[in-house]
Amino acid sequence: MTHSMMPERREGPVDPMPKSPSPEEGSGPRRPDTGSPDKDNLMKRMRKVDPKQAERYRQRTGE
Amino acid sequence: MVNRIFGLETEYGLLIHQDHPDHSPTWFAHRLRDQLFHVQRRGVLDLHHRGHDEPPGNGGFLVNAGRIYLDMGHLEYASPECHSLTDVVASDRAGDLLLQQALEELGLSEQVSLIKNNIDHETDATFGSHENYLVSRRFPFSRRGLAPLVTFLVTRQIFTGSGRVGSAAPQDAWIQTDRLIVPRSAFGTHQVSDLPFQISQRADYIVNDFFEWVQHNRAIVNTRDEPLADPNQYRRIHLLLGDSNMAEYATALKLGTTGLVLQLIEEGHAPQDLEIDEPVEALQEISQDQERRWLVQLRSQKTMSAVDIQGRFLDCAVQHCKGQDEETDWVLAQWASVLHDLGDDYHKLVGRVDWASKLWLLECFREAEHLDWVDPMMRSLDLEYHNLNHEKGLYHGLLEEGRAPRVTTDRLIHLAMDTAPKNTRAYGRSELVRHLLNEGPALGMDQSPAPDGLFPPYVINWSIFQVRGHAPFPMPDPFKTYLEDVRTHLQSVIV
Repeated sequence: MTHSMMPERREGPVDPMPKSPSPEEGSGPRRPDTGSPDKDNLMKRMRKVDPKQAERYRQRTGE
Repeated sequence: MVNRIFGLETEYGLLIHQDHPDHSPTWFAHRLRDQLFHVQRRGVLDLHHRGHDEPPGNGGFLVNAGRIYLDMGHLEYASPECHSLTDVVASDRAGDLLLQQALEELGLSEQVSLIKNNIDHETDATFGSHENYLVSRRFPFSRRGLAPLVTFLVTRQIFTGSGRVGSAAPQDAWIQTDRLIVPRSAFGTHQVSDLPFQISQRADYIVNDFFEWVQHNRAIVNTRDEPLADPNQYRRIHLLLGDSNMAEYATALKLGTTGLVLQLIEEGHAPQDLEIDEPVEALQEISQDQERRWLVQLRSQKTMSAVDIQGRFLDCAVQHCKGQDEETDWVLAQWASVLHDLGDDYHKLVGRVDWASKLWLLECFREAEHLDWVDPMMRSLDLEYHNLNHEKGLYHGLLEEGRAPRVTTDRLIHLAMDTAPKNTRAYGRSELVRHLLNEGPALGMDQSPAPDGLFPPYVINWSIFQVRGHAPFPMPDPFKTYLEDVRTHLQSVIV
């Protein structure tokens, strides 16, 4: 998924945090891999979800 | 990016996996905060009243110069000031990881899940993801000057929205239309409870175009003037209409495109012929459009799609901003890529755009299990997309499959947990917090609130701090690190 790698972090006034990976050459727009993700593992994750958990999720309005 | 400081504030939900829990979400929030500050010593708690709902000990600044605190019962993390998209994405993910690790250390990760979303389906509560952008004081902060920003914000949800099952019940609030304030129920022609899926979590809760409050009458543009910096030089654009993003890519694109549009407005290059006729209605109509045509009525009576409107902003940004720095060019390239793919099959956006990822996952499950959208399982899966537990969360499942592109690395995220960006004033504040953690006890500065009438051992705020017995130390310029000055100041504290 290197099409999306960010440019290197720009230097700050002092020793910056370590750099992110370098961008791939030619950073113009390009189409991502459009194949379907492997559904099997994701379906396994989804089948483990408790169907009632949304009913239990009662939060306060925040901000 | 050029002349920009970014910040993100995230409120987290706590899901307790018990029918009759022994404790409230707020009780667990206190445990997590105490683990971070008292056990892990990730920062120093406030010892003074920051406000009527922020008593001493409610939260504090971290060694990464961000903050963790309780706000209206929610755990909230505010990132440090960041000058680059790379830093703000890493700092945002660092907040997620700080909290998730604390939960696991407490042995509570089977009992409780941290959910990075903005709604609950049961009570229609909402909680925020707030964006901060530092702009020049000369920014045209008038209704006319902000019109291009409103148009951009209303339509950007096509790639920034996190998506949700259903919609909020009609709000007991008022909605602005054609300069009239009317009950939201006046628009009750749409049976919102039957809506299968919409692309934004927050759109249902935004009822004004401009307003200064954050808890009621939420607006597209929050107008509170609180720069947290020199008010003669800077203004802070504070936005609360956005969704919390799980995808790193979406987080970077949201902040990057918004930063560029603010630059276009500052420099007088933003398109002026795209003012939306009814922006609040349009925000909700785009979010709820099941055909995803996303048509918008402009004041000029012209109808345009949100994709085309975004394309106009992109064209302006390419014309005026391209080549100014590498991050800008990354944003321009990805903005173009996403707009291109939005005009096609949404499956192409899985992994990059949260609503698309969620919709694809839920559609796969719904078809396999022959469920209706109203089945409670669909709302539960919606929540699970936002679960920060890497072994359970659905977004993390996409990451594990290598299908969600990264814009940072695990190493950078781990560093951002305890390291501030080294090119903003966050760096100076980080030095202060580290000093108080290391030297505070020896100086009699334990993390106990001061007795009434006594100045507390320290007071830290975003733009100033003061250690008891010493002069206040202002930090009005977020672009300066103040590092050497802070060190010199702290030496005098030791003496």
